[in-house]
Amino acid sequence: MAMTQVEKDQVYERARHTSYDVYEIFVQASDLDPHVHVGSLLAPSPEWALQLARENFLRRADAINIWAVRRSDVHATPDDPDWFAREFDRKYRDVSGYADNARRWKRFKAQAMNIDDVIADVRKE
Amino acid sequence: MPEARREAFMARIRRGEKIEAHDWMPDDYRLLLLRLIHMHAVSEIMGAYPEKEWVPKAPTLRRKMSLMAKVQDEIGHGQLLLRVAEDLAAPLGRDRMELMDDVITGRVKFHNVFHMEAPTWADAGIIGWLVDGAAIITQTALLDCSYAPYARVLKRICAEESFHMQHGESIILSLAEGEPWQREMLQEALNRWWEAILFFFGPPVVTDAARRMMEYRIRSRTNEELRQKFLTRYVPRIRAVGLEIPDSALRFDEEAGLWRYTEPDWERWSRVVRENIGPKSQERIALRRMAHQDQAWVREALVRARTAAVV
Ligand SMILES: [Fe+2]
Ligand SMILES: [Fe+2]
Repeated sequence: MAMTQVEKDQVYERARHTSYDVYEIFVQASDLDPHVHVGSLLAPSPEWALQLARENFLRRADAINIWAVRRSDVHATPDDPDWFAREFDRKYRDVSGYADNARRWKRFKAQAMNIDDVIADVRKE
Repeated sequence: MPEARREAFMARIRRGEKIEAHDWMPDDYRLLLLRLIHMHAVSEIMGAYPEKEWVPKAPTLRRKMSLMAKVQDEIGHGQLLLRVAEDLAAPLGRDRMELMDDVITGRVKFHNVFHMEAPTWADAGIIGWLVDGAAIITQTALLDCSYAPYARVLKRICAEESFHMQHGESIILSLAEGEPWQREMLQEALNRWWEAILFFFGPPVVTDAARRMMEYRIRSRTNEELRQKFLTRYVPRIRAVGLEIPDSALRFDEEAGLWRYTEPDWERWSRVVRENIGPKSQERIALRRMAHQDQAWVREALVRARTAAVV
């Protein structure tokens, strides 16, 4: 049963003020990957947000899981660069802070180790 | 005080910093961006129409599948871009419904090429090859845009456009390898589209809005620079497949390092875009109206279903 134009206009007038919520979408590519934010979309419900996320963001890429989070539920840090300020040099926490090890090992006629070698070695049968 | 704020903003832009949706920005920056992204979003959606017409008529199942995939991508691009536009429009009290209403009322324009007919399969090929090719040039030129949400979405879009590029080339290569009547069909399609594609990049004059967009680092290249890049990239390939470009004045001016060409009819094409008077403008807007207004009750019902479930 087709609607008349007047009926259509009435329905549109009522419906045009319905608004969807914004959902932020996070995709997990594999078991060993964390969920990564890929963008946002508008959806009428969380279930629809997940369906639309698959259509919008996974037309090609593989994934094993999607999170849809209503934007109003996201808590973000303030827009203040000081919030992330580094008070002093943190090289002592990083590999780069120990670049001299390789040279020093040479004196003992041995090589410095790195984690990738260890992983490869442990994996080897 | 507002001047100081603006100065601080411009200093951020000059330092190459990226702006986010919730950052303070001058109204002028917001409005220029919104106009650009709104038109981009709507053009992606209206751009799906000429191609979707060919989905039921594609010559093979594989072509049908790939064309369908491409049409889906274009609508997807529209969705991503609309989100970016909505966040810019929210402080102005405008939402997606209004942004889409603007297509129907003619308040937002869409690219000239999407007002045109695609009467043969070769037109579908030329759209995929040259219209997408032109769009890829304008979009890659925006990848460094100072507005981060737009730049992020463009990155995703450009990744998919690399498929569109191969898809378009594949169609025209099949026709170029084909029978004389197929090559003729391809030539005729090129003749139909050439002027429109040159116009696509916009007039060579750097308008005041374009100049401001460059100051804000929204964009960094002029229309003419992009058209020149397109010509350098595509003219040799168009000729290589044995097609003749329908412009006897087209030549590369070695001295100036520039392509010379017959200018498209700026006035006529501007009117097509401004007044929606291209051969397919009204028909496609009517389809959009159908999707937007006639299906509004579905959107309302979906929201009502959720509210009912919560109570
Ligand atoms: Fe696109
Ligand atoms: Fe495309």
